[in-house]
Amino acid sequence: MILSVRDLAVSFRRDGQELTAVDHISFDVAEGETFIIIGESGSGKSLTGMSIAGLQPQAASVSGSITFKGRELLNRPDAELRRVRGREVGLIYQDPLGSLNPVWPVGDQIAEALTAHGLLGRAEAARRAVEMLDRVHIPDPRRVAQAYPHEISGGMRQRAMIAMALAASPSLLIADEPTTALDVTIKAQMLELLSELKRELSLTVVLITHDMGVVAEVADRILVMYAGRIAEIGDADAIMQRPSHPYTAALMASAMISEARPKQDLDAILGGAPGLGAFPSGCRFHPRCARARDDCSRVDPPRRPWGAVELACHHPVAADATHPLVEA
Amino acid sequence: MPPLLELDRVAKTFAQRRGGRAVQAVAGVSLSVDRGETVGLVGESGCGKSTLARLALKLVEPTAGRIVFDGTEITHWTGRRMLPVRRRLQAVFQDPLASLNPRMTVEEVMREPFDTHGIQLGARLAPRIRELLSFVGLENVDLRKLPPQFSGGQLQRIAIARALALEPEIIVADEPTSALDPSIQAQIVNLLLFIQRRRGISYLVISHDLDVIGHVADRIAVMYLGAIIEQGPAAELMLRPLHPYTQALLSASPTLAARRSRRWKRIVLPGDPPNPADVPLGCRFHPRCRLARDVCRTSEPPLRAVAEPGRLVACHLAPEETAVTGEEIGQARKGLAAA
Amino acid sequence: MSVLAEPPRRIPRPRGVLTPLALLIVAALAAFTMLPSLIAPYDPIALAMSDRLKPPSLEHLFGTDEGGRDIFSRVVHGTRYSLGVAIVIVFFSALFGVIYGAVSGMARGWVDNVLMRIVDLFFGFPALVLALAVAAAMGRGLDSVALSLAVIWWPGYARLVRGEVLRLRERPHVESARALGVSELTILRRHIIPFVTQEVNVRVTTDIGFALVAVTALSFLGLGANSPTPEWGLLIRDSRSYFGSAWWYLVFPGTMIMLTATAFSIIGDALASRRSA
Repeated sequence: MILSVRDLAVSFRRDGQELTAVDHISFDVAEGETFIIIGESGSGKSLTGMSIAGLQPQAASVSGSITFKGRELLNRPDAELRRVRGREVGLIYQDPLGSLNPVWPVGDQIAEALTAHGLLGRAEAARRAVEMLDRVHIPDPRRVAQAYPHEISGGMRQRAMIAMALAASPSLLIADEPTTALDVTIKAQMLELLSELKRELSLTVVLITHDMGVVAEVADRILVMYAGRIAEIGDADAIMQRPSHPYTAALMASAMISEARPKQDLDAILGGAPGLGAFPSGCRFHPRCARARDDCSRVDPPRRPWGAVELACHHPVAADATHPLVEA
Repeated sequence: MPPLLELDRVAKTFAQRRGGRAVQAVAGVSLSVDRGETVGLVGESGCGKSTLARLALKLVEPTAGRIVFDGTEITHWTGRRMLPVRRRLQAVFQDPLASLNPRMTVEEVMREPFDTHGIQLGARLAPRIRELLSFVGLENVDLRKLPPQFSGGQLQRIAIARALALEPEIIVADEPTSALDPSIQAQIVNLLLFIQRRRGISYLVISHDLDVIGHVADRIAVMYLGAIIEQGPAAELMLRPLHPYTQALLSASPTLAARRSRRWKRIVLPGDPPNPADVPLGCRFHPRCRLARDVCRTSEPPLRAVAEPGRLVACHLAPEETAVTGEEIGQARKGLAAA
Repeated sequence: MSVLAEPPRRIPRPRGVLTPLALLIVAALAAFTMLPSLIAPYDPIALAMSDRLKPPSLEHLFGTDEGGRDIFSRVVHGTRYSLGVAIVIVFFSALFGVIYGAVSGMARGWVDNVLMRIVDLFFGFPALVLALAVAAAMGRGLDSVALSLAVIWWPGYARLVRGEVLRLRERPHVESARALGVSELTILRRHIIPFVTQEVNVRVTTDIGFALVAVTALSFLGLGANSPTPEWGLLIRDSRSYFGSAWWYLVFPGTMIMLTATAFSIIGDALASRRSA
């Protein structure tokens, strides 16, 4: 396992109350796989990803253990943490404009990522920056390296950000909603680029998203989060062929709008996701769940093996009750 | 009977400050919505679809063309003169939190349409507001709360309830689901369909999401760089897209199964979304089109009728060279089992 | 971004004692303005030649001036003139500027253009020359100081509010009100002005400090208050001849001006950092 997360909890203090946004979750990411964390806003998926990168908000307190290549990442001195993350973990965000410095040429920013940690000398780093821009298929990389972020198009900025994340040849790439804000045709370009880079640089990718379509396309394994907890986790093929947790099934159904009969009601999940501090008792999904019974509101379902996957649900979707959503 | 809302060759050019080039956001678009019909307008950012929505809502003045509402030209109507039209023509916007005044309580938000149109309900106002909110699926709302205290899905319902307050005949919905979580998107789509079944109103729905448009619309228009490049009945257009751009949009979202199987190869368009300040000569799509040839670079293809009735395409090569690919894409959306 | 770079940290907001301290100063100033006779131990005007130029002591906290008057009492009584005039200037400038800017921003087009050119005209006018001209026409005095400063002060508000109105009128909630058919006047009143006031409040608070400095400066130059009014700028003007022998005469009124201007500036900053988007 390249990455092991054990009992990870992220909490905030608000009005004297301890609010747990990520509630003691554990999972492993294997080398070379594309691991997807899927969930809606408030599920804790981004906090989980940011905690791995050590970039959780300052107000958050993080406990548990995150080991990367056998080394503990949590509660390490900053300098040591930065070194590990800097060399080994790349990060791409949803919003490239917000993560590129507007008053610095793009190439310098990529080079800075390399010189700051003494990985390369300045001239070498500048060469590497151009190389990386070329690597992400930016036309005329020499010119773009000298451009400021506002001088290049949105799609190019997205690519430049990927180039920056990958400049130090990290082995793990964390991508937080990398395609969410993008137009359909640009999203298509990004997905192609990401899978090409993953293949050729043998990256391990942790991708955080709410888009089932993206999941279908790239996932090796899936972690479904709901209200700070793991709803279902396991092999992507197994989950996509037969989602066992009612929430996973509902998420998939809502992504299958193109298969629905036009103008007919879609399978929508009732209500909205609960906010931090308003998580229901028992199974946190029960107020929105069509399969909920009495015990769901009282007893917190433990995580348990279920066929090829693990889930936390008292009444999973029965094996024979549903037609396969995705053919084998 | 004339269409309820008709845009006739409307254009909108924004002058840029400091000597920049003028930006033609909408370049002579004709589109009409009949009674009880849903027209879907799809396109990516910068294609001018939001400007078109604002033109249809008379929030901006067109530079050219006519806007006709129920047979009456309203192109240059403003202020009080527009009030009777506004009562019949309402709007729902993308970001429900931003589109409701954050300092007004739900009650104030909900009574604004009545106040604005001088409808005095007196004691019947409160029950009427309750009734509207309940119609959109919101029971027992605390009317004293402010918009930031609600979730996105609840807010969009409130915005829709407000748009329904005046019992309009048509709602222009600009990206009504785009700011919402996936599970909430489906709820709002269902709500829009429910309202139409119950009230028989018309919609002009604008979105970048061809899946949503394909689900709710009777007719679809695809916009690229300020112009409609394909238009037709929803079922036919989704099943057999004829313009290479529509094909690229549709190929990006086949069924989950198709995406999973990897037997599906999407069409990836090269380059960036185009800049409306710099519209290419000839066919506006040609720099990103894999079929482009000389004629595409020199002459602009008109939007012309092809194939089935009601289908219009602005492409020199359609349908002869595009129909086969269109067929494949349509099939992939129905599931690869058929392929 | 790569995580190589320093993780983005929020810049810590200055907090702690500064804002409460500033509020305390302003509270004291308010008391000075409203109840000077209760606070000041001596008459600010009456001469007491036997007490000329006494250094600070328990009897005379800030010492005495060349007429034997208690400087602390003069400063307390002077608050009403210096700060009072500054507040009047800012209040009327803001009132006029807000209306002017709102009209300009809502009207847009050529009306906006003409209104803003007028603003430019006033902006470009040198304060001192205007004050001299007004003083020449109306005679020296705090009223002519108030008038000339207000005349050059309001355009700032007009510009600020016009900019805010132009920005806010593009907000989705304004657009959606317009789609509903809400009239322009109601949109301005209900959907725009409430969001401008926060910004104006910040500006007003900070400006009071600046206006105070301007008022005292004009008085110092001899264009404002007339003796024996205990206006702060005038105190400093009068202290010039005694700087070598009686430092307290200059230092205490000077410190008051500085403290007051700084206090309003700090409160303005605190308001600014609390305002929502």
